[in-house]
Amino acid sequence: MEENQLLALWESYDRKLSQNLVLNRQNAEDITKFKVKSLLSSMQPIKIFAILVGIVWVGFLDVIVINVWAYASPMFLISIGFHIVLTKLSIGVYIYQLVLINLVDINEPILSTQEKIAKLKSSTIWITRLLFLQLPAWTVFYWTKDLFQNLHAFQISIMVGVALGMAYLGIWLFKNIRFENRDKKWFRFLLGGIEWDPMMKAADLLEQIEKAKNEG
Amino acid sequence: MFSNDSTSFLKIIDANKGIIYKVANSYCRDEENRKDLIQEIILQLWLSFPKYDPSFKLSTWIYRIALNVSISFYRKESRRGRISQPFPEEIIYLTAEKLPLEQNEDIEMLQKFIRELKEIDRAVILLYLEGNSQQEIADILGITVSNVSTKVSRIKQTLKQKFAAINR
Repeated sequence: MEENQLLALWESYDRKLSQNLVLNRQNAEDITKFKVKSLLSSMQPIKIFAILVGIVWVGFLDVIVINVWAYASPMFLISIGFHIVLTKLSIGVYIYQLVLINLVDINEPILSTQEKIAKLKSSTIWITRLLFLQLPAWTVFYWTKDLFQNLHAFQISIMVGVALGMAYLGIWLFKNIRFENRDKKWFRFLLGGIEWDPMMKAADLLEQIEKAKNEG
Repeated sequence: MFSNDSTSFLKIIDANKGIIYKVANSYCRDEENRKDLIQEIILQLWLSFPKYDPSFKLSTWIYRIALNVSISFYRKESRRGRISQPFPEEIIYLTAEKLPLEQNEDIEMLQKFIRELKEIDRAVILLYLEGNSQQEIADILGITVSNVSTKVSRIKQTLKQKFAAINR
């Protein structure tokens, strides 16, 4: 089909629409009476809530660390320190998302707006990666010198094995939970689902935007 | 500058319902999803109405919002209870009359091929077919005119090949 044929076809489609398209004025008018915020603005409260809860939680943990510093076991301090650092990073991601929400303006050109929305959606993957990276901390925080002295070698080997396994798994997932792996079976099994689909679409869109910027 | 009231807003929507329908139809084939998408576009147009900048053409503003909403539209997200009672009927709908069968089939095919394109390419060809100039397309998308030109040529070539394949 040639260019002029394409345009003519679209024109006939346009004519058909202009003759047969109807606006339900009552329903359209009802929309102007809704007391709703934009889709992105409505995401703000939950992000702010998550940031506040996160700040209270790490503040609480900071106080614990300060108070038990002198006598707590090194493994407990390392684990809780690791957890605090990663939680603070997650709070940072949420703050970044809040900034993006405030920067998005759907009146602006498509590419810049979509880039911000896609970055906003895809940044949630960082929260998941940081969550998995904490896995080993939960398996070693209770380790003390006394505990090891009172356990059988077999029990110790199981504990150490589980901790090493979790460390390996945590680091592996942190490294591999990337959009490039979104079509792999393990990824879909672990992270597939309704919540992830918009994020995958966002990642795909970021690739398109990057390509669009460089074309021409 | 338009007065910020629902009467002038509804006049604008009525005059530009074709744009809204065509954009929604290019991003949503499913009737139920399209109904939600059209509702979302009109809602976002209404929410953005006070921010409309008259230095831009009205159609530029409508295309920007309709495309921005359509590209980032995800049904599960939109159905988050913001509108507790979705409308049973479509806000913008097509009456039953149809074009001659052969032409109708070609249009269906064209729409199918457009829907097979990636989101950004879909926006480019839609704006092109709608008769927007390359400068207008560049303004709506936020890319350079030469970038628009390259994209349009590439997408037209893709469509041409797809039509050629079915006519063999």
